[in-house]
Amino acid sequence: MRPRHAKKYLLALLLFIPIGLLQVGIDYQRKVEDLESDLLLLPGQVAGNLVLGGFKGLAADLLWLNMEEYWHSGHHHKVLPLLETISWLQPNYVLVWAIGGWHMAYNIYAAIEDDPEQQAYWYDQGTRFLKKGIYYNPDKYDLYFELGWTYYHKGKDYPNAVTYLARAVQYSSPDYVTDVLAHAYEKAGDIPMAIETWQVLIDKKSSFSDIAVRMIHDLKTKGKATP
Amino acid sequence: MRKSWLIGVNTFRESMRNKTLYILLVIALIVIGASKLFSFLTAEEEMKMIKDVSFAAIEFFGALIAIFSALGAVAKEIDRRTIYTLLTKPISRNHFIFGKFIGVALVVLLNFVLISAFFFGLLLFKKTIPDIEIFKALLLIFLELILMSSITLALATVSSEAFALIFSFFLYIVGNLTSYGKQMVERADNIIMKGLADMLYTVVPNYANFNIRDKIVVGVPVSWLYLLKVGSYGIIYMVVVLCLALYFFQKREI
Repeated sequence: MRPRHAKKYLLALLLFIPIGLLQVGIDYQRKVEDLESDLLLLPGQVAGNLVLGGFKGLAADLLWLNMEEYWHSGHHHKVLPLLETISWLQPNYVLVWAIGGWHMAYNIYAAIEDDPEQQAYWYDQGTRFLKKGIYYNPDKYDLYFELGWTYYHKGKDYPNAVTYLARAVQYSSPDYVTDVLAHAYEKAGDIPMAIETWQVLIDKKSSFSDIAVRMIHDLKTKGKATP
Repeated sequence: MRKSWLIGVNTFRESMRNKTLYILLVIALIVIGASKLFSFLTAEEEMKMIKDVSFAAIEFFGALIAIFSALGAVAKEIDRRTIYTLLTKPISRNHFIFGKFIGVALVVLLNFVLISAFFFGLLLFKKTIPDIEIFKALLLIFLELILMSSITLALATVSSEAFALIFSFFLYIVGNLTSYGKQMVERADNIIMKGLADMLYTVVPNYANFNIRDKIVVGVPVSWLYLLKVGSYGIIYMVVVLCLALYFFQKREI
């Protein structure tokens, strides 16, 4: 090889330096934008192979289909490790957290109706699962709402319901979230805040406006609007 | 450049006669079409499945097409000895390699456009308008496929067809795992191991950089800055690989 060419090729190899620097920049950006993938080992060879090939979404989908099958065949407890794994694979997949929390706090709860201690345990597991989901998805209303609703509807824990529903409405959310928040304020005994929240729906000219007018009227005249 | 372009167009035409590529294309379209079978799921779950399956099909079958067309472009010319006729003409080896790269890139582009168009069709059929994030994911997949084909091309200039094929797939798998490997080594105390891992991390193509589809499907937005960085990474890496391909091809006795 002629020295002139050798220099040219050496120069090309030197390009690995900017490649290395760019890789550092990319790694940083992946951390900042939450594009990182944690090291993980999965149960099930197929899912494992897909993860190794860089097809994490597909692996999560297969596990999801497995979960559906277990769910519909009544194997509720087999669903849980799958939900944990899917949420581990794709922590930003909000639906997994929402459905997981619902399964625990509602469906498994209902399946063990003669054991209040176990029911309390699964209600607690459901809310914990939702809180874990919020940790990974703090900028979306969905899981705040799911958790708030679980506290409101299943746990009758109105102060906690208000806390999470109030956080949900801070993000872009549908009007029914504000509607539930207004009910939760009333149930928690904070009538002025309930009226204020209903007023928000009237001001927004939302489809809940008619209900909001009636609710404010009932709250002001009877001190109670939610059945 | 004109000579390279002519070789490129010719390579493209020749690849279009390769039935394997059509079979891969048809399978990819069937796989994407099959994602519609998940209609028993809720609309949101189904849409996620459609996107996941489609991205995976575009990536996987795109990779197969990129590797096989790059392999066929150089190795077949050498095996069939048609390269002798070519190189007796006033065509330098540089023109030949660049031309082959252009031809392979055109094949990858055509297949990529066809599969992506089918994916978009499916989304529109489901009354979902593809957003800009989907385009970002596709852009990086395309860049990854082009990088993959340039690496296979370089390997084909230096080794046998079988070795180039196996090593390309090996790099494809390893390239998706380098970040996992780095995470493992970072926990080790051995400095030599760490240094070696850092070097490998730079030298081995990091295909995981191009994978944003898993995040985009679940609604995580990706910045243009990230795309710019990964785009620069892909282009510089491609330049290095093509230079190496030229170097090896210059040295190869034909």
